[in-house]
Amino acid sequence: MGKIFKTKFTTATIVLIPACIGINYLGKLFASLLKLPLWLDCIGTCIGACLGGPVIGAVCGAANNLIYGLTTGDNITLVYAFTSLCIGLAVGILARMGFMSTFPKSFVCALGGGLAAVLVSTPLNIIFWGGTTGNVWGDAVFAATQAGGMSVGIGSLLDEIVVDVPDKIITIIIVYFILRGLPRKLTALYDVNAKTERLD
Amino acid sequence: MNSISLYINKGSWLNRLHPYTKLLYILTAILVPLIGGKLWLFPVMITASLCILASGRILGKAMPLVLFSFTLILVIFLIQGLFNHDNRTVMFSIGVITFYREGVLFAVRIGCNILNMLLSFGIFVLTTSPQELVDELEKSGFSPRFGYIINSVFQILPQMLAARDVIADAQRSRGMETEGNMLVRIKAFLPLISPVVMSSLINTRERAIALEVRGFGRKQKKTWLYDRTKCKWDPVVRGILVFLLVLVIVWRIW
Repeated sequence: MGKIFKTKFTTATIVLIPACIGINYLGKLFASLLKLPLWLDCIGTCIGACLGGPVIGAVCGAANNLIYGLTTGDNITLVYAFTSLCIGLAVGILARMGFMSTFPKSFVCALGGGLAAVLVSTPLNIIFWGGTTGNVWGDAVFAATQAGGMSVGIGSLLDEIVVDVPDKIITIIIVYFILRGLPRKLTALYDVNAKTERLD
Repeated sequence: MNSISLYINKGSWLNRLHPYTKLLYILTAILVPLIGGKLWLFPVMITASLCILASGRILGKAMPLVLFSFTLILVIFLIQGLFNHDNRTVMFSIGVITFYREGVLFAVRIGCNILNMLLSFGIFVLTTSPQELVDELEKSGFSPRFGYIINSVFQILPQMLAARDVIADAQRSRGMETEGNMLVRIKAFLPLISPVVMSSLINTRERAIALEVRGFGRKQKKTWLYDRTKCKWDPVVRGILVFLLVLVIVWRIW
């Protein structure tokens, strides 16, 4: 198990984190530009998690929300710092276990990330906003469950599942194709099992 | 250069205040109503934040932040007012839609909490430059590597945004549709984002080498070029905030 969490804190991994945070921002920006009903704001976190491992993924996620929360005034993001951290962690662990190696396997990874997001976000939604998420589709589901007399917990859980799981599946598909296209000389920088061969 | 940071330097006393003092204010503003448990504490803290924003001449800049949360608050009002489980007493009806007192009260509490958080964070966000925050964090023992991460985000983002515009134009000139039905827009997402993502990931390799060459990995203690001028208000404000926190805790326990 020790190998799954093995992390190289080299300059390359440190530089990867801000790039991933920038990618998160771009994903969110394009999603709102194209008026997609998804967030797509953790593409970078997932790339970081797949390249650098779970620890880097977690750092990417948490730093992402903290930085945007403290500089752009979007402190609704700040509430979800722990969610991002867990998404990075979950995707990182699954990627190290080999669930990013083929396209069908990557769906397991997506489900893992989505589940982590749902489990952490639901209590946060209930504490801060009484169960809503701020996403139109999810909140419609929440309203329906409340009208139907279900408990706030289950309603909020369904609200999150409807939004987060499709969001993470699409995110992971995008990440999968991006990682496919990266040159070997770049991915080699982050390979923890790589050995340096010396000629002397 | 366009930046995602909302920081504006108006030379006011808020700008001169230490970032930690402003962070302590956020903590106080959020905790006082929560520990106190009374609804009227929310408007008190919201008014306090508004007064502080006005004294720093940034009230106008804070309004977009508030408007941003408006839909969220509206949705909470609708859902809780209509469907809250404790709904018993009818407040008013519009046609077949009936709003209940309990749900609306619950929504008021959540809405106030959101506004309170937004405004207190607004004070921090609008008056603290990210650079200053990073410097102060590093001076109090934060790892310079994490300092670099924060600073670097602000350098990379404008570059990525510029690249985004170029790529969006390039793809459109090749005839790619970016407007239309949902399927068209979903299909447009990947060709738009992947070139930016790819190039920024590939750039990290060169950036890493450039940083290594400049001694990024060195363990020696850093020195600072700029010394921040001490603000005489810092100890006063911190004292008041800590006093308020202690007061509300004592009040609650009694």
